[in-house]
Amino acid sequence: MPRQPAYDLADKVRVQAERSGAQEVETYLETNTTIEVRIRQGQLELLSQSAIQGLGLRMFRDRRMGFFYTTDLRETVLTELVNRTLALTNEATPREENKLPEYLASSQSDLEIYDPAVVQLRPEDLVKMARAAEDSAFAKNERIQTTRDVRCGASLYEVFFSNTFIARQTFRATSVWLAATPIATEGAQKREGTYVDRKRFLSDLARPEQIGERAAERALARLGAAAVASGRVPVVFSAEAAAIFLQGLLPALSALNVIEQRSFLAGKIGQAVAGPSVTIIDDGTMRRGLGTRYFDGEGVQTHRTVLVERGILRQYVHSAATARRMNVPATGNGIRSYDSLPTIGPTNFYIDAFSKTRPLIEDVAQGLYVNGLAGFGMDTVSGEYSQQVDGHWIEKGVLAKPVEGVTVAGRLDEMLLGIDAVGRDLDFRNNIASPTIRFKELTVGGAA
Amino acid sequence: MGIGQELRDVLNEETVNRILQEALARGGDAADLFAEQRFRTSIVLDSGKIDSVTYGYPRGGGVRVVLRNQTGYAFSDELTYNSLLDAARVASSVVETQSRANPIDVTRRTLLPPFTLVNPEPLMPEAGKLDILRRMDAAARAADPRIVSVRIEYMDDVRDVLIMEAGPAPAGPMPVVVAPGWGGVLIHESLGHALEADGIRRGTSLLAGLQGTRVASPLVRVVDDARWPNGRGSYAMDDEGAPGQRTVAVEGGILQSYLVDKQNGRLLTQKSTGNGRRMSYRNWPIPRMTNTYIDKGTSDPASLLNGITKGLYAAELGGGSVETTSGNFNFAVREGYWIENGKLTRPVRGAVLVGNSLETMQRIEGIGNDLKVETTRGTCGKDGQQVPVGVGQPTVRFSSITVGGPSI
Repeated sequence: MPRQPAYDLADKVRVQAERSGAQEVETYLETNTTIEVRIRQGQLELLSQSAIQGLGLRMFRDRRMGFFYTTDLRETVLTELVNRTLALTNEATPREENKLPEYLASSQSDLEIYDPAVVQLRPEDLVKMARAAEDSAFAKNERIQTTRDVRCGASLYEVFFSNTFIARQTFRATSVWLAATPIATEGAQKREGTYVDRKRFLSDLARPEQIGERAAERALARLGAAAVASGRVPVVFSAEAAAIFLQGLLPALSALNVIEQRSFLAGKIGQAVAGPSVTIIDDGTMRRGLGTRYFDGEGVQTHRTVLVERGILRQYVHSAATARRMNVPATGNGIRSYDSLPTIGPTNFYIDAFSKTRPLIEDVAQGLYVNGLAGFGMDTVSGEYSQQVDGHWIEKGVLAKPVEGVTVAGRLDEMLLGIDAVGRDLDFRNNIASPTIRFKELTVGGAA
Repeated sequence: MGIGQELRDVLNEETVNRILQEALARGGDAADLFAEQRFRTSIVLDSGKIDSVTYGYPRGGGVRVVLRNQTGYAFSDELTYNSLLDAARVASSVVETQSRANPIDVTRRTLLPPFTLVNPEPLMPEAGKLDILRRMDAAARAADPRIVSVRIEYMDDVRDVLIMEAGPAPAGPMPVVVAPGWGGVLIHESLGHALEADGIRRGTSLLAGLQGTRVASPLVRVVDDARWPNGRGSYAMDDEGAPGQRTVAVEGGILQSYLVDKQNGRLLTQKSTGNGRRMSYRNWPIPRMTNTYIDKGTSDPASLLNGITKGLYAAELGGGSVETTSGNFNFAVREGYWIENGKLTRPVRGAVLVGNSLETMQRIEGIGNDLKVETTRGTCGKDGQQVPVGVGQPTVRFSSITVGGPSI
């Protein structure tokens, strides 16, 4: 828990920087206390506790920007850092956008991101939840004899913000998570499966038994997987695979990348960029959302922004600086921690559930159902996409056999336009989420 | 007092003794205290202009208590005797049943690095760093008029021109030749991670129990070397105080040694190979690679293209990852070329390599004599901890790897 004196200290350093010649100064003080346990074969393998408290200070002088961060909050150290940073700031190039955002964050209703029940969790409570999840994974099937581990943790996060124009503002938020990774074994073959749930409120977290069981199902489903032949077929991404895909897409929606010509979506506002069932939203105000916050890393109030509406590109994701450059309202997406400058990032970022008119798998005669994605083959500059996947082969509308060792590939612009179905199974277990989606046709690279 | 204050001002032999005594008050096999301060400078040049300048001064300490396979770890950003004593108490609570506390003995030991650092950039005055950035920016723009946007982060690099003309990648299994140097990420992902002792001890790695058996083609020697001159993964001692060393992990295709830290070493009854590393005081040590490479072979690198009617030459690999349980791995190919009838022809764009570690390593059918170890880039992520590593290899030819890409 941050103590009041640290708040006062942050304010004091800000004033000091202002007196030393910085015209605009912003302080961002963050504390984070986390406990996590890891269980394996019923035994506590790891108990960890972290106590983070750091300060980041951004300063502007004649439209030049400088920044420092530190976990050492002694006054002599802070004074020295202010002076050194001011000196280095003189080397920076003046930029028109180098100024603090002017808007004040106004008060919002309770966004429900702080749960006292999470703060009260003790290591022994976490151990109990983790053991219950592992036990249910073992109980699921005799081919589950071991786990990589089961992790259960809780954290309390608190932010204090002030700048030359905005009076101090703060918020605190909790999160609690449980992740199980059992390993299924058959002969010499071992495959793992992971299921994670993460929530702001303890009462929203899935039951440990359910988490263990689902993780076990995933590991078991991968046994006996093999490559399939190369070809162009319909490809269905599970909700989780679609969320990972969506996450990879985010840089293309970043206004900075658009301005700097580093996005394949640059210059396409108002145009159809995805299938008509695709709506993509970033919503920093969603109640109990894992990406929900009252204000972003620049003190800007968070918003709900529709980025793609029924396939039409409506908006990019902005920091205060890019919003000013493109002359649009800021979206509250200046994401940061104390040790980094604000960069454009997601709050609660998702493909909206679409009322299902056609079943996603049932009307695929032959195709691929993708459960897991891995690899770095997504290039939002050139629009090229290829990743390693595992999942199942679809034969006459049912999952026929497990698949691995194959790739899927395409051009991102064509892929998005080719999304011909979006499910309604949207479930937030992270701040980035999606329902199941289907691509009309992708290239599968597998056996000859 | 101030930046750069010696850690010894806070932690002398007496305070360290007391903190470690507290850590082992409930019992345990071992405890350690890790304190750290860093001073970082970062300068970003974007579109030819100095965009942002950053100083970072993270500082803190963590206490670890180990009992068999159990670890307790607590850290504090506040580097004071009292906060570290609290951390020691929290870490010690991993010991569920109190046993006898062991006496401890703190002695000072000095290990010198097995090499001297060349050009230590962090010691350069700021003007020199700014100069490097401006020269890089100018060079990138001069390379080709089609370069329209350049962003450089100090101690990072920019590339590259040929990709714009490249055709889409093929899909399916084919012979693959991987260029020397950075191509070593392949051995890092495919076998390296599976050699780390935590997965071996838990039995979750595909290489568990395979010591003394064949895991790669007989041509293959795999080395992990913390003493490689100026390597990104080089050090005098690891983050548990064990000396960095050269470990031959695979010899003649036979698995010789895992990469071992102290805790997993105790449980496996193997000696630490000096591979216990951590990202910072906020993390506990886990077994990691240092500079990992396939050692040089005997072939003339050019001859390794001979006899390939259709295949892929991976000149530059991008990021990769592996699941150590199954051995399934993947890599992006950042710069690739078709091999047609033993010759490099058109560039290939957007390809990925996928495969299974053991199968793929058996398919090495030629190794060049042109070993190169990358010492300028390479950062490995595991369990949320990023550490600098070196990777390397000579030119290596695989009889077959599955290549994925947008066209067939």
